[in-house]
Amino acid sequence: MSVLHRFGGIVAVLLVIVLMSLAMVVAGTSPIDGFSALLTGALGGSNQLGETLVATTALLFPALGICLAFRAGLFNIGAEGQLIVGALLAGAAGAQMHVAAPLAIAIMLLLGAIGGGVWGGIAGWMKARFNANEIISTLMLNFVAASVALTLVSGPLRGPLATGAETAWLPPQYWLPTLIPHTRLSAALVLALAIAAVLTWVFRATVFGYELNAAGEAPEAAKRNGINIARLTWLSLTLSGAIAGLGGASIVTGELHRFNTQLSPGYGFTAIAVALVGDLQPLWICVAAFGFGILESGGLAMQASAQVPKDAIHLIEGLIILVLAARRYVATRIEKGQAA
Amino acid sequence: MPALELRSIRKTFPGVVAVDDADLVLYPGEIHALVGENGAGKSTLSAIAFAELKPDSGTVIAHGTVGLVHQHFELVGRLRVWENVLLGREPRRGWTIDAHAARKRVRDIAERNGLRIDPDAVVETLPIGVQQRVELLRELDREPSVLLLDEPTAALAPSEIESFFQTVKALAACGTAIMIVTHKLQEVMAYSSTVTVMRHGRITATMPTASTTAEAIAQAMVGGEIPKVAAREERPLAPCLSIRTGDISLDVRSGEIVGIAGVEGNGQTTLADSITGMIPYDGTLSIERNGRPPLGVIPQDRQAEALVLAWSIVDNVMLGRQQVLRRGALLDRERARTDAQTIAQRFDVRAANLDVAVKTLSGGNQQKIVVGRALIDEPALVLAYNPTRGIDVGAAALVQSRLIEARNRGAAVLLISFELDELLAVADRIAVMYRGRITGEFERIAFDRGAIGRLMAGLA
Repeated sequence: MSVLHRFGGIVAVLLVIVLMSLAMVVAGTSPIDGFSALLTGALGGSNQLGETLVATTALLFPALGICLAFRAGLFNIGAEGQLIVGALLAGAAGAQMHVAAPLAIAIMLLLGAIGGGVWGGIAGWMKARFNANEIISTLMLNFVAASVALTLVSGPLRGPLATGAETAWLPPQYWLPTLIPHTRLSAALVLALAIAAVLTWVFRATVFGYELNAAGEAPEAAKRNGINIARLTWLSLTLSGAIAGLGGASIVTGELHRFNTQLSPGYGFTAIAVALVGDLQPLWICVAAFGFGILESGGLAMQASAQVPKDAIHLIEGLIILVLAARRYVATRIEKGQAA
Repeated sequence: MPALELRSIRKTFPGVVAVDDADLVLYPGEIHALVGENGAGKSTLSAIAFAELKPDSGTVIAHGTVGLVHQHFELVGRLRVWENVLLGREPRRGWTIDAHAARKRVRDIAERNGLRIDPDAVVETLPIGVQQRVELLRELDREPSVLLLDEPTAALAPSEIESFFQTVKALAACGTAIMIVTHKLQEVMAYSSTVTVMRHGRITATMPTASTTAEAIAQAMVGGEIPKVAAREERPLAPCLSIRTGDISLDVRSGEIVGIAGVEGNGQTTLADSITGMIPYDGTLSIERNGRPPLGVIPQDRQAEALVLAWSIVDNVMLGRQQVLRRGALLDRERARTDAQTIAQRFDVRAANLDVAVKTLSGGNQQKIVVGRALIDEPALVLAYNPTRGIDVGAAALVQSRLIEARNRGAAVLLISFELDELLAVADRIAVMYRGRITGEFERIAFDRGAIGRLMAGLA
């Protein structure tokens, strides 16, 4: 393994910082001002840290779901839709339910996982049964999810006092407890980290994880060695969707306390980058999600105090993906050069 | 004046010296055979000669261009023959490719070298032997003064081999220096003018072919006695595999090796895939388990069908054995490691340790892992499809003797091989396949090379 491969992540980050600095200079801001505004805005106090971790949590669920599918060699581009369906189910149920609070939260999270799981499972079933390309089907299901959600919360599920397309608010006892007082950070973060730990164990120790990795690395060899690819396909897309859907439900019960069509500013898409930056390793994905969380929450502050437009954050995210792709390309080239 | 000189070449990979102080000189007009066991450094040395790899030290002096035909073809399956041959060197007319001139150019090279080919055929639809002609044409178009051929006959049928070497001889006669990397000693003896033997990265002998014997070359390759195929024993046999389909009626009993003889493409792959459950079949197929795991498979293509190349030896030893190694939802990795150690010992796998990726191992060592894994759980039936293809004599003899041992411990072994010599040496019974059917069976006592050969050719 080359030095570049091992320290590639750090090299990538440094390269992005240099490129961003150039962009800031072009925009007429000192990079030092820009980055210090970014970091202060993201980490400068418990409130800021709370918001950063809220974004981290929102990215972490779909990123872990995507990671599971990618490990099986399946490109789940539909985490956004899976997240929305999960959130919709959780929000709709939470606004109507009358049960004891812990049970209600559990039901909402479960419904979120089921909703996302069904949404991912549809693409998985289509792939297993008809060999429908999962990149297309998961992507298209995003639009279906958004349309269904908009239709339902504009009509039958719309809260009586709602001003926009959203459900009624959850009663406060149905809210996930907060982790840091006076912030919006909920216990969902703990749940996400637990899922990351479980996934690490699944990949490392279980038969399912082994077969998943085999199918992703060498599908033909996997098929010929007793691995049921069709079953693995629908199962991993279902689980992938379920994790994303759980994330949607946790936004509803932990952060917004209602379902709103504006609930996700594209978490399910940014999460693809998070999963890739984390090298499809659940624990590194946690680190990557925190990094992207800093960008998401610090971006606004950077815009306000250093006059760097928030779009610059998307520039950073795009650059990271570009640098990462280049790194993989370079690493492959080096590996090829060394092959006997 | 030599066409290519390699002087004091040394090349190391992490943990291995692949080539050590090697000198090799190729002269125009000679056919120079480079032989050695898998992992002896032949492929590395030819990659250095082709300037695909840089040596750590030593010099490479080439007078003219060097062409290399790879063992694994590097063709674009969906493109036509002429598009593949001229890839990157297409004749142009302004912004477009001059397809007319291109076809003519390919036809000319083919004719000049006595290779029959349709320039407009789509490569992936062609038989392997013809695909290799495309590879060869591509190199010939560059008019190389040195041509390196890496295992050129590994995929060819016997009739194709003869015509292939006629082409090679004609090229040499025109002054091209030719180096053939090969395992097949009978081809070395029949067609080469000079032979160089490599062993453990060093060149151990270079001599005129006329002044040596196949036995002497084999001796120099393995550095000692060639391992002998172990003796058979006779015993009463219980049925294990039974196949009854429209085309095939075949029984393999526990404790015998049944060989399937036939030219490639006569239904062997269909037979193997039916047994492994990869494709559906009409009729009945049953395996008597006798309290063992039912099936151990040595697939035809070890890299695509048997191994996850990026994974370690230990992880690969688990593949296909998930049910054996399952402990509830978990995999018993400790046992897999012990198994990997056992396999590495029994098969003399040469690797720095059990955690190296199998893609860093030579083909022979990869195959040893595949065979070891197929046999370790003592399955009732062993299906071996060309288990010694493309590996050196030492490794091949080891694989064969392990198959015989498995049979002696009561396994039924179905050995599909494109090399009749292998079947004659190892099988207790040979069934011949021709156009999807079994056209004849021979007990060992009645083995008749001529009769089997005629059935294989569809003449009987």
